[in-house]
Amino acid sequence: MAISLSKGGNVNLSKEAPGLNKIIVGLGWDARATDGAAFDLDASAFLVKLDGKVRSDSDFCFYNNKVAGDGSVEHQGDNLTGAGEGDDEVVKVELSKIPSDLDKVVFSVTINDAEARRQSFGQVSHAYIRIVNEEGGAEIARYDLSEDASTETAMIFGEIYRVGTDWKFKAVGQGFAGGLGPLATSFGVNV
Amino acid sequence: MNIFKGQRIALASLFENNAQADRFQVGLSISGSKEAIDFACFGLDSQQKLSDDAYMTFFNQPKTPCGAVELSTPVGDTLGFSCQLAKLPAKIDKLVFTAAIDGSTSMGQIKDGYLRFLISNQEVARFSFSSVDFQDEKAVMLGELYRKDGTWRFSAVCQGFNGGMAALVKHFGGEVAEEAPLPVSSKLSLEKKLASAPKLINLAKKATVSLEKYQLQETVARVGLVLDASGSMMNQYRTGKVQEVIERLLPLAVHFDDDGELDVWAFSSNVLALPAATLNNYADFINTAEGGWNNWGMMSINNEPSVIKQVIELYQKTLLPVLVIFISDGGVSRNKEIKDLLTNAACLPIFWQFVGIGGRNYSVLEQLDTMAGRIVDNCGFFALDDLNSISEQELYDRLLSEFPLWLKAAKNKHIL
Repeated sequence: MAISLSKGGNVNLSKEAPGLNKIIVGLGWDARATDGAAFDLDASAFLVKLDGKVRSDSDFCFYNNKVAGDGSVEHQGDNLTGAGEGDDEVVKVELSKIPSDLDKVVFSVTINDAEARRQSFGQVSHAYIRIVNEEGGAEIARYDLSEDASTETAMIFGEIYRVGTDWKFKAVGQGFAGGLGPLATSFGVNV
Repeated sequence: MNIFKGQRIALASLFENNAQADRFQVGLSISGSKEAIDFACFGLDSQQKLSDDAYMTFFNQPKTPCGAVELSTPVGDTLGFSCQLAKLPAKIDKLVFTAAIDGSTSMGQIKDGYLRFLISNQEVARFSFSSVDFQDEKAVMLGELYRKDGTWRFSAVCQGFNGGMAALVKHFGGEVAEEAPLPVSSKLSLEKKLASAPKLINLAKKATVSLEKYQLQETVARVGLVLDASGSMMNQYRTGKVQEVIERLLPLAVHFDDDGELDVWAFSSNVLALPAATLNNYADFINTAEGGWNNWGMMSINNEPSVIKQVIELYQKTLLPVLVIFISDGGVSRNKEIKDLLTNAACLPIFWQFVGIGGRNYSVLEQLDTMAGRIVDNCGFFALDDLNSISEQELYDRLLSEFPLWLKAAKNKHIL
């Protein structure tokens, strides 16, 4: 059974699923039930070193750069394959392929055009991030962050990071001022 | 404390542990709207549905059964509610504070507004919004109080529906009949809606029976009443029979119409659009509206075409179906004009129910029912010697028997 995390909580993925290599990171939220401009949410991933910065722009995985980190992280775009059913966006990660100088993969979601549309995460219902073992499809961990979202327009949902030879997942749920651009800059990406 | 759109916050931190916080007020106000705005508080279950109508608190139902939510307007606000959350039954998971514009404008056309919290008449927190927070919504959820892990939290939702109150009610689980996907009315029973008008309450059951019989419980429509005020009607006005017509028809308007208004016209050689009859002013309406019927400048010959034109003008752009009840005592002479007007009006969402009372020579009005050359049959007719000659039950039955047939036909022809 999957572990449900609260903000700040973490779980050792390698211990929960021994031999874990390929994971599916599913991110989801409820479609807007009310009228008005739709919520256009974009998921992205940053592969960063110990200092919290990317090695180069090719470690920034988003809709215009779907493969990053030397092929270890792959953005699936809209979920069309049926894998990770119910997720709005899916990022696949092959842990063994993550270059050894990279320490952490940060998963974030930004609201496109949030300022002009006057939207924020507090208006988005039932946002979550979950980690699924691609082999067998079992959900290992999940973090529902609805109640931790408020007036933010960009949020770090969660991150996976190395602890020795193990990988852990942390429920971050932290807002970030500004959109995808400023967020990328903070991770050392040149935009 | 200021609350921002989209913000979610624990009520306790909003109230900063104020000792009097077990009882607080929510005050609502919107300025800059040309049209009336109705505020309400919906108490929803854990499925986010209004499973118990009694937990919709608004003008016509000022208090929940448990007394947890009660109409109580803070000074300076348009409407407000007094809340004692501890009194709420466990089944109520959420209180949603809503605003709905009654008319053609949208929330994007207001100036600004707020939802604020008060404790002991002192403001403790305020969520301000303005037109830029909206687009074409006519009914919005401004904010909601909800249970989460044993505590209450507030969310400044600020989202809504272009379809107005009907769409909002649907969002909260109001049912839409599959056969006729017309806008739904609030599920509140007619008896409850009429609670503030004790004189009409005995009519509620009779009207409800007829509404159910013709499957009109869920239909939302506007209701208009045209009153013949030609000289031959004088006695009917004098003896209170016309006032009785108003009282008997108002429950239908309250049922069909979201704002419960009965649009009223009087005509003789001229036409007079009277203020809408409502639960607030219906008593002695004939003797008080516009100075009373004696001062309407009527009681001359009858000129049906003028009033028909005015009715069409008011309703031609409405998106809701319209039921016009047209009272005449006969002596109709402008047959061709009437026939042409109503033939052309067949493409509009208006159904004309003509009722002849105590007269003769209804001529064209009787033929309208079966007249050819129209896209749909948009007229009905029946005559009574006297309004008192049939029971109220029968009156409602006769008034409503043709309307659903027209609704169906008009829907098939995409008039609705």
